[in-house]
Amino acid sequence: MISFARRWAAVALLALVTATMTAPQVASQESYQRIQGEGSSWAGTAIANMAANVNQFGITVDYTSSGSTTGRRNYIRGITDFAASDIPFQFEPEDGSDPEVPPGQYAYIPVTAGGTSFLYNLKINGQPVTNLRLSGENVALIFTGEITKWNDERLAADNPGLSLPARDVIPVVRSDGSGSSAQFTAWMIDRHPQIWLDYCEKVGRAPACGETSFYPISGSMVGQAGDDGVASYVGQSFGEGAIGYANYSFATNNALPVAKVLNAAGFYTEPTPENVAVSLLQARIVDNPDDLTVHLTQDLSGVYTDTDPRAYQLSSYSYFILPIEEQGQFTAEKGRTLAAFANFAMCEAQQNSASLGYSPIPLNLVTASLLQIEQIPGAEVEEIDLSKCNNPTFSSDGDAERNLLAENAPFPQECDRQANYQCGDGTAGLRAVSTIVNNPEQPPSSSGGDGSGGSAGGGSTGGGSSGGSTGGGSTGGGSTDGGTTDGSGTAGDGGGDGTGTDTGDSSGDGSDDDVVIIVGGSTGGSGGDGGQVPTDVGGAVEDNPQTPVAESDLPVGPIVSTVLPQQGSGLLLTGVVIVLLLAVVVVPAYAWRAFSEESGSP
Amino acid sequence: MTLIDEPPSAEVDLEEVRPARPRTVLPADRPQGPKVGPRQVGGVAREDLLALGGALVSSVSLTALLFGTFAAFSGRLGFTIVWFGLFIAIYAALVALDNDTPAVVDRVMTAVLSAATLLALVALASVIIYVLYGARGVLTNVNFYTEDMRATGPGDPLSSGGIRHAIIGTLIIISVALLLTVPLGIACAVYLYESRSRFAELVRTVVTAMTALPSIVAGLFIFATWVLILGYPRGGFAGSLAISLMILPIIIRSADVVLRLVPGSLREASAALGAPTWRTVWHVVLPTARSGLSTAVILGVARGIGETAPVLLTSGFTQTTNVNLFENAMLSLPLQTFEFSRSPDPLFQERGFATAAVLMVLVLALFALARFLGGRPAGVLSKRQIKAATRKSAADEERMAARSRGRSGS
Amino acid sequence: MTGLAVLAIMGGVGLFLAVRAYEALNDRGFAFFTTQNWDTNSGEFGVAAVLAFTIAIAFVAVAIAVPVSLAASLFITEVAPPKVRGTLIALVDLMAAVPSVVYGLWGRELLQGHLIPLSRWINTFLGWMPWFDVSGADPNDPFVNLSRYSASTFIAGVVVAMMVIPLQASVMREVFSQVPSGEREGAFALGATRWGQIRAVTLPFGQGGIIGGTMLGLGRALGETIAVVMIISPRFDFTWHVLEVGSNSISALIALRFIEAPDFELSGLFAAGLTLFVITLAVNFGASILVGRSRSGASSEA
Repeated sequence: MISFARRWAAVALLALVTATMTAPQVASQESYQRIQGEGSSWAGTAIANMAANVNQFGITVDYTSSGSTTGRRNYIRGITDFAASDIPFQFEPEDGSDPEVPPGQYAYIPVTAGGTSFLYNLKINGQPVTNLRLSGENVALIFTGEITKWNDERLAADNPGLSLPARDVIPVVRSDGSGSSAQFTAWMIDRHPQIWLDYCEKVGRAPACGETSFYPISGSMVGQAGDDGVASYVGQSFGEGAIGYANYSFATNNALPVAKVLNAAGFYTEPTPENVAVSLLQARIVDNPDDLTVHLTQDLSGVYTDTDPRAYQLSSYSYFILPIEEQGQFTAEKGRTLAAFANFAMCEAQQNSASLGYSPIPLNLVTASLLQIEQIPGAEVEEIDLSKCNNPTFSSDGDAERNLLAENAPFPQECDRQANYQCGDGTAGLRAVSTIVNNPEQPPSSSGGDGSGGSAGGGSTGGGSSGGSTGGGSTGGGSTDGGTTDGSGTAGDGGGDGTGTDTGDSSGDGSDDDVVIIVGGSTGGSGGDGGQVPTDVGGAVEDNPQTPVAESDLPVGPIVSTVLPQQGSGLLLTGVVIVLLLAVVVVPAYAWRAFSEESGSP
Repeated sequence: MTLIDEPPSAEVDLEEVRPARPRTVLPADRPQGPKVGPRQVGGVAREDLLALGGALVSSVSLTALLFGTFAAFSGRLGFTIVWFGLFIAIYAALVALDNDTPAVVDRVMTAVLSAATLLALVALASVIIYVLYGARGVLTNVNFYTEDMRATGPGDPLSSGGIRHAIIGTLIIISVALLLTVPLGIACAVYLYESRSRFAELVRTVVTAMTALPSIVAGLFIFATWVLILGYPRGGFAGSLAISLMILPIIIRSADVVLRLVPGSLREASAALGAPTWRTVWHVVLPTARSGLSTAVILGVARGIGETAPVLLTSGFTQTTNVNLFENAMLSLPLQTFEFSRSPDPLFQERGFATAAVLMVLVLALFALARFLGGRPAGVLSKRQIKAATRKSAADEERMAARSRGRSGS
Repeated sequence: MTGLAVLAIMGGVGLFLAVRAYEALNDRGFAFFTTQNWDTNSGEFGVAAVLAFTIAIAFVAVAIAVPVSLAASLFITEVAPPKVRGTLIALVDLMAAVPSVVYGLWGRELLQGHLIPLSRWINTFLGWMPWFDVSGADPNDPFVNLSRYSASTFIAGVVVAMMVIPLQASVMREVFSQVPSGEREGAFALGATRWGQIRAVTLPFGQGGIIGGTMLGLGRALGETIAVVMIISPRFDFTWHVLEVGSNSISALIALRFIEAPDFELSGLFAAGLTLFVITLAVNFGASILVGRSRSGASSEA
């Protein structure tokens, strides 16, 4: 036993020694003290990225994304130096918990913003729908189980150009406690309180049902852990008909489209980083030192009703909670680090927001935040300066008041207007894939013929208006580059060609079977419009992208009947085959055995 | 009277050395039966192969036919299940042609055992391929093992950043956890083994119940006691404690199972020679159960090393390398995997798979070490050990000879 | 002495759970064990459904894992040629080396897609049994809403089984390899086939190991957290339909909720953890009686 223990000890020691040997020589002249933060997992990716980027200045920040409530709790306990949270301190908890009383003076500053994006997986005739539009009310109705089928009339009103299938709507929500749920339900309670309260009553959460980090799951809803869980579920084959909410970047990276949501200006907009940032220009920071429960917190009602045509109404942000006086283990030394980190987070770090699926904090909020950061003990105030702030939403070249964002953010296309037939352009992760729109006012040949590059892409995925979307920088952000109505003629450049052909080929090949099966059900619905671009079937469109296939060419009837399983005759056939097989395999063997036994015995 | 000539046997060399002596004599008028060739006692009979092949072919074809009707929507797994059921049935029928019932049962059960093993291995292969496929493109980058993530954010290419900090953190955390749990766990298992009291029974039951402790509770317990009550900072050591708390019951319980296999006669023999209990345990029980004990440790490590939640609560998250157990956050590989996999950035997700692959290799290396240290069954010695034993016994002989010389001399 | 130390540690955990759970238990009383809801805001919360789901997942997992691991360990000790035995042992070890995050990811992204058709198939042909029924889905409808088969107790159970198999297989193999060769050869000498020998000698000898391994596996299945979290869609109304969407487990409940749980809810979560602890304790008391009666550990000389 001695040897046993000794060996293990030796092994452990060896590991330790190896570890120490390979460890880097930590710079001894590190001028910043290491700080620790904890909290929001919603903002976790953004904060982790800030911590990684700020390391170049010798600042080390350990951020643990163990949840907003844990973050606030451990901040109160003095274990961490700062916290990140999706909701402010709960001075009057609704459930009888002890009120959260932070130890000293503190400040809230916005850390990163984002729009609640609705990813979905929906197919018409085997082709993905990429241009779904939803009004705010319909969003609320879907996520409270009131709208159960995609061909619901209320959805059709939002999507005049789509004949949505008779599939079940599967709302996918977060199963874990999360800021996404909190932001979504905060919007719901503000904008559609009746729908939300009715739902709360239905699922038995009646008395205290406001903003919640735990979405109540009921009926045909599916809960999944993490944004990655939601996105993964929506994207899988069995997730057809699913719609879930997650950070915008999960849509772009999982090749999923997002729904455009109707804003107060009457436009359906996508939660692009620009649109969210524009919306947050209307966010107000409550300044009411008498009422600590709301002091310095966000007031988003202006965001929800923003009349800028670019606004996305489900936009919000998470907080940093920063101490602004020395307390416990938080010294001025640490304050110096924290202030530098927070300043970096407000300015330089916002450059990366868009690529992470968040959106940058706009001018109004940065201005307010820098004032708070200056109050952190040990802060080097001269470093904290709006004119030195390299935030992407405003100009840092001296003219700090110049709001680049408001100038440069693209405006929605005319077809995104509520009254108009919707655009065919794809969104988010499926930006390059456009959807055919049944638009009686706009014959398909005109736009299809204009942008030749686009129509190659549309060959299988739709002729309509994809010229612009494939031609323009598809990941560049704005969906309006080369708008359909005015710019499709010039958009058919080389880039458009390449993308278009690829998409056409692969989706055309892969989906032959699906198309044939499903066509039977839905041609009836869409058959009425004479001038529509017909549903593409298999290779016909692929070979000849310019010419829409006439409806009469569709070999719908006979194929459907052959694909559907035929129970009766198959059963008989199987029975016969079993008998035959038994006869062929087993019987001769038995016969042979019987025979050999007879002859073998003397 | 004839002597039956036995062919010289290669195995029994000793026989030849001995002087010839009278052998068994058979009567001459032995009844002459039909000439029987040598029986084949091992290997695979042709009938077996044929039955196996026939069953395979017919079951596959039958399933293919059946499938169109009964299982139109059930995918590949359904196909496999139907096929396997048919295969067993047809195989049993074919084997039954030539054999009696016990043999049929034997064949069928052998097929079932092999199939179950194969099933587990296929599932394992699927997991491994899934991980390696996800990690392709990362594992070959040297920087992935030599850098940490302190300066790497989403969007940065795979040539930047790595998981050195997590590798080091995991090694330290698990080593400390093992240092704490292996002595305690095995001592406790020995206690359970030696003592037949009711108290031991109680301990055993409680320990088994603890194996179901949700890992987060272990983390919260350590957080509440070590960090909040005792006031130590979060860090690697707190993480080790949480991991220890999780793997201790597993080590105790599985060590208990294998210790019970030590033959009672060995223990009794030792006691009969006058050895006290501790000597019996030290020199008889533990060496006998050595390979089992290493399995126990392996199972504990396997459970503890892959946990995320308790480590997140107790040792925190960091992107920099930290070798100090008692200060600042220390990261472990599973937590890094978890964080990577939650990221929207595809490159981070790739790194996540690669981290998982590294973790698996690391754990396997630990397992190999444990098997190497404890794997040889009792009594089987390595070459070096044989040499050492020979030397020792030679020395003993020398010593005894010297003593007897001395005695006779005096 | 060490027994006392270990008991003290374990008792400490139990005590910790009890103290933290007191607030919630005191508030809810016995209703905590009968309520099928989890809403600490309105005070309506209890573990009835969650506990039942926990046991259902563990049951599915153990029901799959025990036959497989038993077969695999028998295969390794009795059937496999000695040359590949080492490799097989290493592979089972490898199975144990896969972190549960990876099993969770694998289950969610890869396995679920393959299991849903199987669920549907079982539902089609065995749906008349109440526990294979799936409400809200007609398996014969070609456009059936497949999400009704996803995120279910069954799928979670299969993934947990993957984690339980190596645990059980290792313990069982270790025990089977200790079967006295005298008895084994005796069985062969009496003309037993391999299976006959396994039934007559190996299995009775290994009974204690089988039960011990099963209990260890059950513990793991009851306590498994992250993989279950990644797969299930939590629900708080218990259903016997193991193939139907939605399941839960106590560890998953804690994992999903503790990060955003206010103090009072945290107390409720600890109460849930305590319940799980007590249940496993009870199960193990039952099992310890069985193990106490088994043969292995007694004198193994023939």
